[in-house]
Amino acid sequence: MRVVVDGRTLTGRGVDLRDATVPPGTVVEAVFADGPVDGVRVRSPPPGPLHDELAHVEPSPAVSLRGALAAAARSRGERAPEREALVEARTALAAHEVPTVDLAAERRRTAEAGGRERELSERVAGLRGRVQALREAGLDASEAEAELREAVRALSEAETERVAAEQRLDSLRAAASEARDARRRRLALQDRVSNLERAARRSLAERLYAEFRAAVAAVPGEGDAGGAPGEYEGDPATAALAVVRVASPAAPVVVSVDRFDDAATAARRLDAPVVLARSPADATP
Amino acid sequence: MLLVVTYSREARTSLRNACRSHEATVARRLGRAALLEETCLGAFLALRLREKHGGDVQVERTAPLNEYADVPADVRAAAAAYEARDAPSTPYGKFASGTEHPSPAALRDREL
Repeated sequence: MRVVVDGRTLTGRGVDLRDATVPPGTVVEAVFADGPVDGVRVRSPPPGPLHDELAHVEPSPAVSLRGALAAAARSRGERAPEREALVEARTALAAHEVPTVDLAAERRRTAEAGGRERELSERVAGLRGRVQALREAGLDASEAEAELREAVRALSEAETERVAAEQRLDSLRAAASEARDARRRRLALQDRVSNLERAARRSLAERLYAEFRAAVAAVPGEGDAGGAPGEYEGDPATAALAVVRVASPAAPVVVSVDRFDDAATAARRLDAPVVLARSPADATP
Repeated sequence: MLLVVTYSREARTSLRNACRSHEATVARRLGRAALLEETCLGAFLALRLREKHGGDVQVERTAPLNEYADVPADVRAAAAAYEARDAPSTPYGKFASGTEHPSPAALRDREL
Protein backbone atom coordinates (compact mmCIF):
# COMPACT_ATOMS: atom_id res chain seq x y z
CA MET A 1 0.00 0.00 0.00
CA ARG A 2 1.15 3.51 -0.79
CA VAL A 3 -0.50 6.54 0.78
CA VAL A 4 0.18 10.10 -0.32
CA VAL A 5 -0.91 12.81 2.08
CA ASP A 6 0.26 16.39 2.74
CA GLY A 7 3.01 15.88 0.14
CA ARG A 8 4.38 12.86 2.02
CA THR A 9 4.40 9.32 0.70
CA LEU A 10 3.95 6.50 3.19
CA THR A 11 4.27 2.84 2.32
CA GLY A 12 3.88 -0.47 4.08
CA ARG A 13 1.21 -2.89 5.29
CA GLY A 14 0.49 -0.47 8.10
CA VAL A 15 0.35 3.30 7.60
CA ASP A 16 -0.08 5.82 10.38
CA LEU A 17 -2.01 8.99 9.51
CA ARG A 18 -2.85 9.97 13.07
CA ASP A 19 -0.62 13.01 12.89
CA ALA A 20 -2.14 14.21 9.60
CA THR A 21 -5.03 16.66 9.46
CA VAL A 22 -7.27 14.22 7.60
CA PRO A 23 -10.48 12.95 9.18
CA PRO A 24 -10.97 9.15 9.04
CA GLY A 25 -13.99 9.46 6.74
CA THR A 26 -11.79 11.05 4.08
CA VAL A 27 -9.28 8.21 4.36
CA VAL A 28 -12.13 5.69 3.90
CA GLU A 29 -13.28 7.55 0.80
CA ALA A 30 -9.73 7.55 -0.51
CA VAL A 31 -9.55 3.76 -0.06
CA PHE A 32 -12.61 3.44 -2.33
CA ALA A 33 -11.52 6.14 -4.80
CA ASP A 34 -9.24 5.73 -7.80
CA GLY A 35 -7.74 9.18 -7.39
CA PRO A 36 -7.00 11.55 -4.53
CA VAL A 37 -9.75 12.66 -2.12
CA ASP A 38 -9.15 15.99 -0.36
CA GLY A 39 -5.41 15.62 -0.80
CA VAL A 40 -5.28 11.95 0.27
CA ARG A 41 -4.48 9.22 -2.16
CA VAL A 42 -4.47 5.54 -1.25
CA ARG A 43 -2.95 3.15 -3.76
CA SER A 44 -3.87 -0.44 -3.00
CA PRO A 45 -5.80 -3.33 -4.49
CA PRO A 46 -9.49 -2.40 -4.80
CA PRO A 47 -11.82 -2.94 -1.82
CA GLY A 48 -13.55 -6.32 -1.75
CA PRO A 49 -16.40 -7.94 0.17
CA LEU A 50 -15.18 -6.99 3.66
CA HIS A 51 -15.23 -3.30 2.75
CA ASP A 52 -18.91 -3.46 1.79
CA GLU A 53 -19.66 -4.08 5.46
CA LEU A 54 -16.61 -2.95 7.35
CA ALA A 55 -14.14 -0.51 5.83
CA HIS A 56 -13.64 1.53 8.97
CA VAL A 57 -13.23 0.45 12.59
CA GLU A 58 -14.42 3.45 14.58
CA PRO A 59 -15.16 3.88 18.27
CA SER A 60 -18.84 2.92 17.93
CA PRO A 61 -19.11 0.98 14.68
CA ALA A 62 -22.71 0.53 13.55
CA VAL A 63 -22.21 -2.82 11.87
CA SER A 64 -24.12 -6.04 12.30
CA LEU A 65 -21.68 -8.64 13.56
CA ARG A 66 -23.32 -11.37 11.52
CA GLY A 67 -23.11 -9.30 8.33
CA ALA A 68 -19.52 -8.29 9.00
CA LEU A 69 -18.45 -11.87 9.71
CA ALA A 70 -20.16 -13.06 6.54
CA ALA A 71 -18.30 -10.36 4.61
CA ALA A 72 -15.06 -11.48 6.26
CA ALA A 73 -15.74 -15.02 5.09
CA ARG A 74 -16.38 -13.78 1.55
CA SER A 75 -13.14 -11.80 1.61
CA ARG A 76 -11.43 -15.17 2.13
CA GLY A 77 -13.19 -16.60 -0.89
CA GLU A 78 -15.64 -18.70 1.11
CA ARG A 79 -19.03 -19.36 -0.41
CA ALA A 80 -22.26 -19.95 1.41
CA PRO A 81 -24.15 -23.17 0.64
CA GLU A 82 -27.09 -20.92 -0.30
CA ARG A 83 -25.10 -19.12 -2.97
CA GLU A 84 -26.36 -21.01 -6.01
CA ALA A 85 -29.98 -20.71 -4.97
CA LEU A 86 -29.40 -17.05 -4.24
CA VAL A 87 -27.94 -16.34 -7.67
CA GLU A 88 -30.89 -18.14 -9.23
CA ALA A 89 -33.43 -16.22 -7.16
CA ARG A 90 -31.77 -12.90 -7.94
CA THR A 91 -31.76 -13.69 -11.64
CA ALA A 92 -35.43 -14.63 -11.52
CA LEU A 93 -36.22 -11.43 -9.66
CA ALA A 94 -34.31 -9.28 -12.14
CA ALA A 95 -36.16 -10.89 -15.03
CA HIS A 96 -39.57 -10.64 -13.39
CA GLU A 97 -41.72 -8.01 -15.03
CA VAL A 98 -44.86 -6.53 -13.57
CA PRO A 99 -47.51 -4.84 -15.67
CA THR A 100 -48.73 -1.50 -14.42
CA VAL A 101 -52.09 -1.18 -12.71
CA ASP A 102 -53.40 2.32 -12.49
CA LEU A 103 -57.14 2.63 -12.71
CA ALA A 104 -57.37 6.05 -11.10
CA ALA A 105 -58.49 7.72 -14.34
CA GLU A 106 -61.22 5.10 -14.84
CA ARG A 107 -62.36 5.34 -11.23
CA ARG A 108 -62.63 9.10 -11.57
CA ARG A 109 -64.59 8.81 -14.84
CA THR A 110 -67.02 6.33 -13.26
CA ALA A 111 -67.48 8.52 -10.20
CA GLU A 112 -68.11 11.62 -12.31
CA ALA A 113 -70.58 9.81 -14.53
CA GLY A 114 -72.42 8.62 -11.40
CA GLY A 115 -72.48 12.16 -10.04
CA ARG A 116 -73.91 13.59 -13.27
CA GLU A 117 -76.57 10.92 -13.35
CA ARG A 118 -77.64 11.71 -9.78
CA GLU A 119 -77.84 15.44 -10.51
CA LEU A 120 -79.93 14.90 -13.61
CA SER A 121 -82.25 12.47 -11.94
CA GLU A 122 -82.92 15.06 -9.23
CA ARG A 123 -83.58 17.63 -11.91
CA VAL A 124 -86.01 15.30 -13.70
CA ALA A 125 -87.89 14.69 -10.46
CA GLY A 126 -88.08 18.42 -9.81
CA LEU A 127 -89.35 19.18 -13.33
CA ARG A 128 -91.94 16.40 -13.12
CA GLY A 129 -93.31 17.98 -9.98
CA ARG A 130 -93.41 21.39 -11.64
CA VAL A 131 -95.18 20.11 -14.75
CA GLN A 132 -97.74 18.35 -12.62
CA ALA A 133 -98.29 21.41 -10.43
CA LEU A 134 -98.76 23.64 -13.47
CA ARG A 135 -101.24 21.23 -15.00
CA GLU A 136 -103.20 20.90 -11.79
CA ALA A 137 -103.36 24.67 -11.54
CA GLY A 138 -104.66 24.77 -15.11
CA LEU A 139 -101.65 26.77 -16.27
CA ASP A 140 -99.53 26.46 -19.40
CA ALA A 141 -96.99 23.68 -18.78
CA SER A 142 -95.54 23.50 -22.27
CA GLU A 143 -92.28 25.23 -21.41
CA ALA A 144 -91.73 23.04 -18.34
CA GLU A 145 -92.63 19.96 -20.39
CA ALA A 146 -89.97 20.86 -22.94
CA GLU A 147 -87.42 21.29 -20.18
CA LEU A 148 -88.49 17.97 -18.72
CA ARG A 149 -88.10 16.19 -22.07
CA GLU A 150 -84.64 17.66 -22.44
CA ALA A 151 -83.67 16.63 -18.90
CA VAL A 152 -85.00 13.09 -19.42
CA ARG A 153 -82.96 12.81 -22.59
CA ALA A 154 -79.81 14.05 -20.81
CA LEU A 155 -80.46 11.66 -17.92
CA SER A 156 -80.70 8.72 -20.26
CA GLU A 157 -77.41 9.73 -21.86
CA ALA A 158 -75.74 10.09 -18.48
CA GLU A 159 -77.01 6.69 -17.46
CA THR A 160 -75.59 5.09 -20.60
CA GLU A 161 -72.30 6.80 -19.95
CA ARG A 162 -72.19 5.65 -16.33
CA VAL A 163 -72.99 2.05 -17.25
CA ALA A 164 -70.28 2.09 -19.92
CA ALA A 165 -67.76 3.55 -17.45
CA GLU A 166 -68.65 0.91 -14.87
CA GLN A 167 -68.31 -1.90 -17.37
CA ARG A 168 -64.97 -0.58 -18.51
CA LEU A 169 -63.78 -0.31 -14.91
CA ASP A 170 -64.97 -3.85 -14.19
CA SER A 171 -63.07 -5.31 -17.13
CA LEU A 172 -59.96 -3.34 -16.24
CA ARG A 173 -60.25 -4.59 -12.67
CA ALA A 174 -60.02 -8.14 -13.95
CA ALA A 175 -56.82 -7.23 -15.82
CA ALA A 176 -55.49 -5.45 -12.74
CA SER A 177 -56.08 -8.57 -10.72
CA GLU A 178 -53.77 -10.50 -13.07
CA ALA A 179 -51.19 -7.75 -12.82
CA ARG A 180 -51.39 -8.05 -9.05
CA ASP A 181 -50.68 -11.76 -9.29
CA ALA A 182 -47.44 -10.83 -11.04
CA ARG A 183 -46.68 -8.37 -8.25
CA ARG A 184 -47.46 -10.98 -5.61
CA ARG A 185 -45.01 -13.37 -7.29
CA ARG A 186 -42.40 -10.61 -7.39
CA LEU A 187 -42.90 -10.03 -3.69
CA ALA A 188 -42.45 -13.75 -3.05
CA LEU A 189 -39.19 -13.62 -5.04
CA GLN A 190 -38.02 -10.58 -3.10
CA ASP A 191 -38.74 -12.42 0.13
CA ARG A 192 -36.94 -15.49 -1.15
CA VAL A 193 -33.86 -13.43 -2.03
CA SER A 194 -33.74 -11.76 1.35
CA ASN A 195 -34.34 -15.02 3.22
CA LEU A 196 -31.50 -16.65 1.28
CA GLU A 197 -29.26 -13.64 1.92
CA ARG A 198 -29.98 -13.90 5.63
CA ALA A 199 -29.40 -17.66 5.62
CA ALA A 200 -26.14 -17.19 3.70
CA ARG A 201 -24.96 -14.56 6.19
CA ARG A 202 -25.83 -16.91 9.04
CA SER A 203 -24.00 -19.87 7.44
CA LEU A 204 -20.87 -17.86 6.75
CA ALA A 205 -20.84 -16.16 10.14
CA GLU A 206 -21.25 -19.47 11.95
CA ARG A 207 -18.44 -21.00 9.94
CA LEU A 208 -16.04 -18.31 11.16
CA TYR A 209 -17.27 -18.01 14.70
CA ALA A 210 -14.66 -20.18 16.44
CA GLU A 211 -11.91 -18.23 14.71
CA PHE A 212 -13.65 -15.01 15.59
CA ARG A 213 -13.75 -16.00 19.26
CA ALA A 214 -10.00 -16.58 19.23
CA ALA A 215 -9.52 -13.27 17.39
CA VAL A 216 -11.47 -11.37 20.07
CA ALA A 217 -8.89 -12.62 22.58
CA ALA A 218 -6.03 -11.72 20.24
CA VAL A 219 -6.93 -8.09 19.53
CA PRO A 220 -6.69 -5.29 22.11
CA GLY A 221 -9.94 -4.35 23.87
CA GLU A 222 -12.77 -5.81 25.91
CA GLY A 223 -15.20 -8.34 24.48
CA ASP A 224 -16.70 -11.78 25.03
CA ALA A 225 -17.68 -13.66 21.90
CA GLY A 226 -20.06 -16.18 23.48
CA GLY A 227 -21.15 -19.08 21.30
CA ALA A 228 -22.94 -17.40 18.38
CA PRO A 229 -23.11 -14.01 16.60
CA GLY A 230 -26.06 -12.89 18.72
CA GLU A 231 -24.16 -13.59 21.94
CA TYR A 232 -21.24 -11.18 21.61
CA GLU A 233 -20.95 -8.91 24.60
CA GLY A 234 -18.61 -6.01 25.07
CA ASP A 235 -17.10 -3.20 23.07
CA PRO A 236 -18.36 -3.33 19.46
CA ALA A 237 -15.05 -1.86 18.28
CA THR A 238 -13.26 -4.92 19.66
CA ALA A 239 -15.63 -7.16 17.70
CA ALA A 240 -14.94 -5.14 14.56
CA LEU A 241 -11.17 -5.49 15.04
CA ALA A 242 -11.58 -9.25 15.52
CA VAL A 243 -13.62 -9.43 12.31
CA VAL A 244 -10.80 -7.68 10.45
CA ARG A 245 -8.35 -10.18 11.93
CA VAL A 246 -10.28 -13.19 10.59
CA ALA A 247 -10.90 -11.51 7.22
CA SER A 248 -8.49 -11.32 4.28
CA PRO A 249 -9.02 -7.84 2.85
CA ALA A 250 -6.83 -6.76 -0.06
CA ALA A 251 -7.50 -3.07 0.50
CA PRO A 252 -6.57 -1.39 3.79
CA VAL A 253 -9.02 -1.12 6.66
CA VAL A 254 -9.15 2.31 8.29
CA VAL A 255 -8.83 2.12 12.08
CA SER A 256 -9.72 5.20 14.11
CA VAL A 257 -9.93 3.59 17.57
CA ASP A 258 -6.96 4.22 19.78
CA ARG A 259 -5.82 0.66 20.40
CA PHE A 260 -2.40 0.44 18.76
CA ASP A 261 0.95 2.11 19.39
CA ASP A 262 1.97 2.04 15.76
CA ALA A 263 0.74 0.98 12.33
CA ALA A 264 3.04 -2.00 11.96
CA THR A 265 1.73 -3.50 15.21
CA ALA A 266 -1.84 -2.85 14.07
CA ALA A 267 -1.25 -4.56 10.73
CA ARG A 268 0.35 -7.51 12.46
CA ARG A 269 -2.29 -7.91 15.18
CA LEU A 270 -5.13 -7.50 12.66
CA ASP A 271 -3.35 -9.56 10.01
CA ALA A 272 -4.50 -7.05 7.39
CA PRO A 273 -3.40 -3.85 5.64
CA VAL A 274 -4.30 -1.02 8.00
CA VAL A 275 -4.38 2.76 7.94
CA LEU A 276 -4.46 4.29 11.40
CA ALA A 277 -6.46 7.51 11.38
CA ARG A 278 -7.32 10.08 14.00
CA SER A 279 -10.31 9.28 16.15
CA PRO A 280 -13.40 11.08 14.77
CA ALA A 281 -13.77 12.79 18.16
CA ASP A 282 -10.40 14.54 17.62
CA ALA A 283 -11.52 16.00 14.31
CA THR A 284 -10.76 19.66 13.84
CA PRO A 285 -13.88 21.78 14.44
CA MET B 1 -64.13 -1.44 6.11
CA LEU B 2 -61.19 -0.59 3.87
CA LEU B 3 -59.04 -3.50 2.80
CA VAL B 4 -55.47 -2.50 1.95
CA VAL B 5 -53.31 -5.15 0.29
CA THR B 6 -49.63 -4.52 -0.51
CA TYR B 7 -47.58 -6.06 -3.30
CA SER B 8 -43.98 -5.01 -2.64
CA ARG B 9 -41.58 -5.05 0.26
CA GLU B 10 -41.51 -1.27 0.45
CA ALA B 11 -45.31 -1.02 0.44
CA ARG B 12 -45.58 -3.77 3.04
CA THR B 13 -43.12 -1.91 5.29
CA SER B 14 -45.06 1.35 4.88
CA LEU B 15 -48.31 -0.43 5.74
CA ARG B 16 -46.70 -1.95 8.82
CA ASN B 17 -45.47 1.46 9.94
CA ALA B 18 -48.83 3.10 9.25
CA CYS B 19 -50.58 0.38 11.27
CA ARG B 20 -48.17 0.86 14.15
CA SER B 21 -48.73 4.57 14.38
CA HIS B 22 -52.52 4.40 13.91
CA GLU B 23 -53.60 1.39 15.95
CA ALA B 24 -57.07 2.75 16.61
CA THR B 25 -57.80 2.94 12.88
CA VAL B 26 -56.62 -0.61 12.17
CA ALA B 27 -59.38 -3.15 12.61
CA ARG B 28 -57.23 -6.14 11.65
CA ARG B 29 -53.69 -6.73 10.40
CA LEU B 30 -53.24 -9.70 8.08
CA GLY B 31 -49.61 -10.03 7.02
CA ARG B 32 -49.18 -7.82 3.99
CA ALA B 33 -52.77 -6.61 4.22
CA ALA B 34 -54.86 -4.74 6.74
CA LEU B 35 -58.47 -3.85 7.36
CA LEU B 36 -58.84 -0.20 8.24
CA GLU B 37 -61.82 1.41 9.90
CA GLU B 38 -64.17 3.08 7.49
CA THR B 39 -63.37 6.60 8.62
CA CYS B 40 -61.79 9.47 6.75
CA LEU B 41 -58.58 8.71 8.63
CA GLY B 42 -58.72 5.14 7.32
CA ALA B 43 -59.20 6.47 3.80
CA PHE B 44 -56.42 9.02 4.32
CA LEU B 45 -53.97 6.28 5.32
CA ALA B 46 -54.99 4.06 2.41
CA LEU B 47 -54.66 6.89 -0.09
CA ARG B 48 -51.29 7.92 1.28
CA LEU B 49 -50.03 4.39 0.76
CA ARG B 50 -51.42 4.30 -2.75
CA GLU B 51 -49.89 7.70 -3.50
CA LYS B 52 -46.51 6.49 -2.32
CA HIS B 53 -46.49 3.00 -3.82
CA GLY B 54 -48.89 3.21 -6.76
CA GLY B 55 -49.92 -0.18 -8.14
CA ASP B 56 -48.27 -1.98 -5.24
CA VAL B 57 -51.19 -0.96 -3.05
CA GLN B 58 -54.69 -2.26 -3.64
CA VAL B 59 -57.57 -0.65 -1.80
CA GLU B 60 -61.01 -2.24 -1.64
CA ARG B 61 -64.08 -1.43 0.35
CA THR B 62 -65.55 -4.39 2.21
CA ALA B 63 -68.93 -4.89 3.77
CA PRO B 64 -70.01 -7.40 6.42
CA LEU B 65 -71.96 -10.34 5.04
CA ASN B 66 -75.34 -11.11 6.54
CA GLU B 67 -75.99 -14.56 5.16
CA TYR B 68 -79.67 -14.37 6.13
CA ALA B 69 -80.14 -11.25 4.05
CA ASP B 70 -77.53 -11.65 1.30
CA VAL B 71 -77.26 -15.38 0.60
CA PRO B 72 -80.10 -17.45 -0.92
CA ALA B 73 -81.57 -19.99 1.49
CA ASP B 74 -80.62 -23.01 -0.65
CA VAL B 75 -76.97 -21.97 -0.60
CA ARG B 76 -77.01 -21.66 3.19
CA ALA B 77 -78.73 -25.01 3.46
CA ALA B 78 -76.19 -26.61 1.13
CA ALA B 79 -73.25 -25.30 3.16
CA ALA B 80 -74.76 -26.54 6.42
CA ALA B 81 -75.67 -29.93 4.98
CA TYR B 82 -72.23 -30.42 3.39
CA GLU B 83 -70.40 -29.62 6.63
CA ALA B 84 -72.64 -32.16 8.39
CA ARG B 85 -71.89 -34.89 5.81
CA ASP B 86 -71.03 -38.40 6.98
CA ALA B 87 -68.00 -39.06 4.78
CA PRO B 88 -65.41 -36.25 5.11
CA SER B 89 -63.73 -37.29 1.85
CA THR B 90 -66.80 -36.74 -0.35
CA PRO B 91 -66.25 -33.77 -2.66
CA TYR B 92 -69.11 -31.29 -2.79
CA GLY B 93 -70.03 -32.04 -6.41
CA LYS B 94 -70.61 -35.67 -5.60
CA PHE B 95 -72.41 -34.82 -2.40
CA ALA B 96 -74.81 -32.47 -4.19
CA SER B 97 -75.65 -34.67 -7.18
CA GLY B 98 -79.06 -36.27 -6.97
CA THR B 99 -80.09 -33.99 -4.09
CA GLU B 100 -81.90 -30.66 -4.03
CA HIS B 101 -78.55 -28.93 -3.29
CA PRO B 102 -77.17 -26.77 -6.10
CA SER B 103 -74.26 -28.09 -8.16
CA PRO B 104 -70.86 -26.35 -7.98
CA ALA B 105 -71.41 -25.06 -11.53
CA ALA B 106 -74.81 -23.63 -10.62
CA LEU B 107 -73.27 -21.92 -7.61
CA ARG B 108 -70.50 -20.46 -9.72
CA ASP B 109 -72.88 -18.97 -12.25
CA ARG B 110 -75.19 -17.30 -9.76
CA GLU B 111 -74.33 -13.78 -8.69
CA LEU B 112 -74.77 -13.10 -5.03
